[in-house]
Amino acid sequence: MTPAMILLITFTHYPAIQTIINSFFSTARGRRKSVFIGWDNYQTLLQDDVFWKVLINNFWYAVWTIPLSIVLSLAMALWVNDKLKGRGFLRMAYFTPTVLPLIAVANIWLFFYTPGFGLIDQIRGLFGLAEQNWMGSPDTALYAMIAVAIWKEAGFFMIFYLAALQTISPTLREAASIEGASKFYYFHRVLFPLLMPTTLFVSINAVINSFRLVDHIFVMTEGGPNNASSLLLFYIYKVAFDYWDTAYAATLTVVMIALLIFLAIGQFFFFDRRVHYK
Amino acid sequence: MTSLSGKSVALRDIQKSWGKTTALDGVTLDIEAGKFTALLGPSGCGKSTALRLISGLEAPTSGGIKIGGEEVTGTAPAARDIAMVFQSYALFPHLSVAENIIFGLRVRGINRSERDVKLTAAADLLGLRALLDRKPSQLSGGQQQRVALGRAIVAEKSIFLMDEPLSNLDAKLRGEMREEIRSLQQRLGVTMIYVTHDQVEAVTMADCVVLMNHGRVEQVAPPRQIYDAPQTLFAAKFIGTPPMMTFATNMLGIEIENVTLGLRPECVKITQVGPIRGEVTHVEYLGADAMIECRVQDTILMCRVPGKTDLTSGSAVSLNFAPEDLHAFDSTTGRRLKHLPFEIEAASALQATGFTQADQS
Repeated sequence: MTPAMILLITFTHYPAIQTIINSFFSTARGRRKSVFIGWDNYQTLLQDDVFWKVLINNFWYAVWTIPLSIVLSLAMALWVNDKLKGRGFLRMAYFTPTVLPLIAVANIWLFFYTPGFGLIDQIRGLFGLAEQNWMGSPDTALYAMIAVAIWKEAGFFMIFYLAALQTISPTLREAASIEGASKFYYFHRVLFPLLMPTTLFVSINAVINSFRLVDHIFVMTEGGPNNASSLLLFYIYKVAFDYWDTAYAATLTVVMIALLIFLAIGQFFFFDRRVHYK
Repeated sequence: MTSLSGKSVALRDIQKSWGKTTALDGVTLDIEAGKFTALLGPSGCGKSTALRLISGLEAPTSGGIKIGGEEVTGTAPAARDIAMVFQSYALFPHLSVAENIIFGLRVRGINRSERDVKLTAAADLLGLRALLDRKPSQLSGGQQQRVALGRAIVAEKSIFLMDEPLSNLDAKLRGEMREEIRSLQQRLGVTMIYVTHDQVEAVTMADCVVLMNHGRVEQVAPPRQIYDAPQTLFAAKFIGTPPMMTFATNMLGIEIENVTLGLRPECVKITQVGPIRGEVTHVEYLGADAMIECRVQDTILMCRVPGKTDLTSGSAVSLNFAPEDLHAFDSTTGRRLKHLPFEIEAASALQATGFTQADQS
């Protein structure tokens, strides 16, 4: 046990506790030493407009990416689980975004979004629609980031659904069809309940990713315009490494972790009665 | 439980192939209404495919299927008036026993009170009353089997299709379930089409056995008849444990081209003086009786003798049999010959002096 504990304490427990402690101290600057300031950082946080802005952004980011990526991944898994021509190719195509680093994905999407000669505007041009600056407009910047995240995540979740689907015996489908169950009825009454453990796993991952997947924001918008596409983790990075306010960054981190813990526990309780484990 | 009347099933010149493999090769078959019919054959003979075609889970490459006189070749499984029990039972693992049984009733939107009546009746019939709230994983194999039967019963269909339903059970349970399924079929009056590779199941349960091989029907007959008068060499060698022994005519000292003779082990008698002389090569005690393996010239003959025997390996014996127990087949086509070749008839008329053995003539 000891070697494992040493590693765990050094790299996990100690930094976590240190972060919490730091959030109650001021940031050391030049000759001014770090001093205990109690809940001051938390007070600042409550009055920080940017914090509230990124929190709300993050809320919408989660609200769109979590369900959409799950629904999309399930739909893709159901499709490529069927016996169809080129199934192997389709599976690979769907999984490719997962293999690509998010920075590379961001570059691909930069090309899609570029006003004027980007893919989307070129297609819009065919229908005589005006140019649109997706990443530059405060109304669309966040949604442009959401689309990238869904594109990146759905293929990954699809693999889990696909694996789960393959463990479900096809005779269940046959038994249901002999009883006259439609495709939808079978999905709703049999397939989806049997996929619940996977849905739980995938949704917890999706929640974590909705806080974690911010790499593309560095490449594409840098949180702009006017923090319209900034997310909590991105803001923490800026506070910590652009403004060098490490104590405040620690405070933000504590809030984020508390939020994640709360969400994860909530999910377990929410799903527990609905999940059938084999 | 309302009594149901079965429906007949007719297959007309059914062909089923996947790419180059042919599973069924021109199968024409009439299955009588209200009877228990077993589709029997070795694995890969096409019996399960035939069942799946009847169920509508698979479509034939060519040919037609009628159920109760109505053409159903293109219709969906649910519209064919059939219920099916799968080899793996196909129970929904997340649903309770009760929900599994009434799954189809819910699909068809039958109201709660009616569902409850049918569920209770089926549960009582199958002794599942105490298990209704359990999940399939909490049941034994035999109980799971009953749940699958329950699902078929509440559907109140005219035809029950069963795909090797007992093959996942242990031997003792299999015996019990055999009787249970048989009596269920008789009580409900449904047409039962039962796929099995186990001849004991087919012979003990069925009114009619359909013996299949290589995607073709070998023989359709009641169990007794298929045992007493197998129409092909395959049928002769498939039914019976151990199977019928087959040999060329020269063992009887007669040379007839293209004829293979067959004889069941229980029809061979070991006597003091007999027409065929051989040597015991192996004795297998089976409790009530014993199997004696004898070598006659270069052929091995099995002989079932009742009770204890003093014979040991190496003893010289004489073998005898009644000529009416002989079966004769065409060696090339494998078809049964309507009559024993007259040479054999003539020779057996000389039974008093016995068949002369080739090496003595």
